[in-house]
Amino acid sequence: LANEEEKRFITLINENQGLIHKVCIMYEHDYDARNDLFQEIVLQLWRSFSSFRGEAKITTWMYRIALNTAISGLRKHTRNVKTEDLREVHFNISEHYYADEHEEDFQRLQWAIRQLTEVERAMIMMALEEVPYDEIAETIGITQNNVRVRMNRIREKLRKFMG
Amino acid sequence: MELEELKHIWKQGEPFQPKGEAELASMLRGTSQSIITKLKRSVWFELLFTIGAGIALFVYALTLPSGALKWTSLSILLLLVVYSFYFIKKLILLIRFDTATTDIKSNLEKLYLTLSSYLKFYKRSYTILYPVYFCLGLLFGALERGTAEFLEALGQTKTIVYLIFVAALFFFCSTWLTTWYLKKLYGNQMDKLRDVLYELKQDLPAA
Repeated sequence: LANEEEKRFITLINENQGLIHKVCIMYEHDYDARNDLFQEIVLQLWRSFSSFRGEAKITTWMYRIALNTAISGLRKHTRNVKTEDLREVHFNISEHYYADEHEEDFQRLQWAIRQLTEVERAMIMMALEEVPYDEIAETIGITQNNVRVRMNRIREKLRKFMG
Repeated sequence: MELEELKHIWKQGEPFQPKGEAELASMLRGTSQSIITKLKRSVWFELLFTIGAGIALFVYALTLPSGALKWTSLSILLLLVVYSFYFIKKLILLIRFDTATTDIKSNLEKLYLTLSSYLKFYKRSYTILYPVYFCLGLLFGALERGTAEFLEALGQTKTIVYLIFVAALFFFCSTWLTTWYLKKLYGNQMDKLRDVLYELKQDLPAA
């Protein structure tokens, strides 16, 4: 490792890489695309690491950059994920995993989240990760009241999608 | 289905393969694939190529005796100087957009503005440059045929009508081509940014 700052950064990413992995799962469909997005997020975090002064929580800063990178990038694959059928997800589960009930529920939730818009995906992901509404509002750039209203609609949509 | 229930499912989620410190460190040496970084890279390449070609052409022009070829080389050199300023202006526009540290809405607004001004400048500069190319074509035609003969031909109605027709066709085709090219390259990205911003700007009433 080149220097102290790089060491600190690598330690930070190492401790919080689950957050980046989850953003990649939300926004990219296949393994290679997820890896590319992971690398892009790490690069963008590294570029702004020196200017991070600790005004916000480290996870808020990470969410902000990771989600900005995921949303502002153009997906490489042309296939519209919204056309992906739930049966296809089930097929993939039975084909590739010995899925238990939890895994199947998670795949169904993932599929349902993919039917949402990119902004809605960012919001539900943070909510599922127990990020408080004021931090979600700060990360997205909307009011807390707006977050509450949108979250209600997202829950309605997910309920509908998941049956 | 309540949020708590969804959180429970989410936490049972897909396990990930953690990346090692060495792999993470190697990622820092990679190149960014973001649209602004890619644009910056290509503009830097164009700028360096233009400067290189300009220097080579200048050295070549110095070895030429005075004549049509020397003047042609110098007029191309002048164009290359204009192009260098054009690339520098493009870089300035792109450098204004730094790494995404603001909230998502502000960042996307900034990205949309940066890309819009970049594309507007791109289109405008080509709208100016195409007539320059056309006039250069006329100049080379005059040099080729001899100035006196060229001016005589230029006085004829038939030639004037022909030139106006060719100029209109050239201008129409080049403008159409530039618009098509920009839409093909950046159209999807701009549409997507517009849609996301529209969604973010909607002030939803409480349900």
